[in-house]
Amino acid sequence: MNESPHGSSTITRLVESFHRLPGIGPKSAQRLAYHVLRAPEEEARALAEALLDVKQRAVLCGACQQISDTDPCAVCDDTRRDRTVICVVEEPLDLVAIERTNGYHGLYHVLHGAISPADGVGPEDLKISELLTRLRRDDGDDAEAVGEVIVATNPNLEGEATAMYLARLLEPLGVRVTRLARGLPAGADLEYVDNVTLERALAFRQSVE
Amino acid sequence: MPARVPRVTKTEAVVLKRRRFGDSDRIVTLLTPARGKIEAIAKGALRPRSKLAGHLEPMTHVEIMMAHGRTLGIVTQAQTIEPFAALRDDLERLSAGLYLLELADRFTVEEAEADAAYVLLLTALLRLLRGDGHQLVVRSFELALLEATGFRPEWQRCAACRSEVTPDRLVWSPLAGGLLCERCRESHPESEPIDVSVVKVLRLIQDAPYEEAARVRLNQRVAAGMESVMHDLVRAMAERDLGSARFLAAVRHTRPVDDPAATAPDEPASLDGDVTYTPQEPLGASGQTGS
Ligand SMILES: [Zn+2]
Ligand SMILES: [Zn+2]
Repeated sequence: MNESPHGSSTITRLVESFHRLPGIGPKSAQRLAYHVLRAPEEEARALAEALLDVKQRAVLCGACQQISDTDPCAVCDDTRRDRTVICVVEEPLDLVAIERTNGYHGLYHVLHGAISPADGVGPEDLKISELLTRLRRDDGDDAEAVGEVIVATNPNLEGEATAMYLARLLEPLGVRVTRLARGLPAGADLEYVDNVTLERALAFRQSVE
Repeated sequence: MPARVPRVTKTEAVVLKRRRFGDSDRIVTLLTPARGKIEAIAKGALRPRSKLAGHLEPMTHVEIMMAHGRTLGIVTQAQTIEPFAALRDDLERLSAGLYLLELADRFTVEEAEADAAYVLLLTALLRLLRGDGHQLVVRSFELALLEATGFRPEWQRCAACRSEVTPDRLVWSPLAGGLLCERCRESHPESEPIDVSVVKVLRLIQDAPYEEAARVRLNQRVAAGMESVMHDLVRAMAERDLGSARFLAAVRHTRPVDDPAATAPDEPASLDGDVTYTPQEPLGASGQTGS
């Protein structure tokens, strides 16, 4: 970098790193960079360590595929949870949103996206085979066998496509497939839906087909 | 001095796709009759109480009010004309609809007149909605869109030199954009044999009125052949893979093979006169699930 608008190429580098983050425009990136510059060294060190830790320690839970520090994750490891229900969500943040309602006590499965052919995301790019493996593993006669899969994908085009495709795949496995109740705002993102609405949608879920 | 009031225009559009923009906005790609394909920002569309979000889902026919920002248009109001809700409740129709959207997106460029593409897309979506066979709707859309965008495939003569083709050994190449004669196929190592029945149905869909093509009955083998040919052609013309074509195939694999036509033995292609299509399902019938 030969010319730096900030008179310092190290600041320029930090501004550019912030600018690459989602939702951060050039102005905010500058503000963040100068904040870090003015902050005590411990604060900067804590931020840097948190950044590295999340890359080094966070793993995917081998069962539910959520991002976790442990495998299995805390939810899958919790013996008080209802193991007969799996709630399928698109993103880890959707899982967080449902947990926040305190109204769901079963297990989860994170797909890490939704079917969106125009963006090149097909079923093979999601954690669908991992879900099928999970469901096939239990042979149906023990008390902990999964009896219901709640498809809690977003109430938008991609979410609906994913839900219908999943229902098609799960049908032959003999599990009940349910979908969040209608009433969620069309085109919405679960991550942004308020707790009450989300809890109600879960409580009044409906069978697919 | 008064602030400059941005020009606001009203337009119809079909929403092709959308992406997140920042924490609360979305950028939508719209196909419009007058301005072709445009991108516009829908502010606050990610917020739960957004008045815009529900109207700006892909595969929606909308009327929008748009202010002209410095770079992107800004959607100020949106009102659904046709939500195509029934297409969203049926995996086969939904995947066909997604394919139409992706094709329309691939074969139009931004801010260039695309009136034909707009009309074709809207017509095809309405035909899917009313329950026309997917095969006919999708194939006639592909052929008409390719023609409207200057990629009309050649199913009558040699696409390279215009000479006659030998009807008993038809070959074609997606790169050449149609059939090839004996001589020209030498310079096209990628050329492949093509079923004469497939060629005849493609000719019919390309040149006959839609209602006439809808009366043709064809068997599973011809339908599958046509689909594979058209997907290869579209991939060659768009110079890339279409995600929605792969999804169509994935959806098909989830269906049990219970259709007798799917397992019927191949009948020899007829070479003389009109092809008599084994009556399995009329091309225009409702509930036809494609090949
Ligand atoms: Zn887990
Ligand atoms: Zn030739």
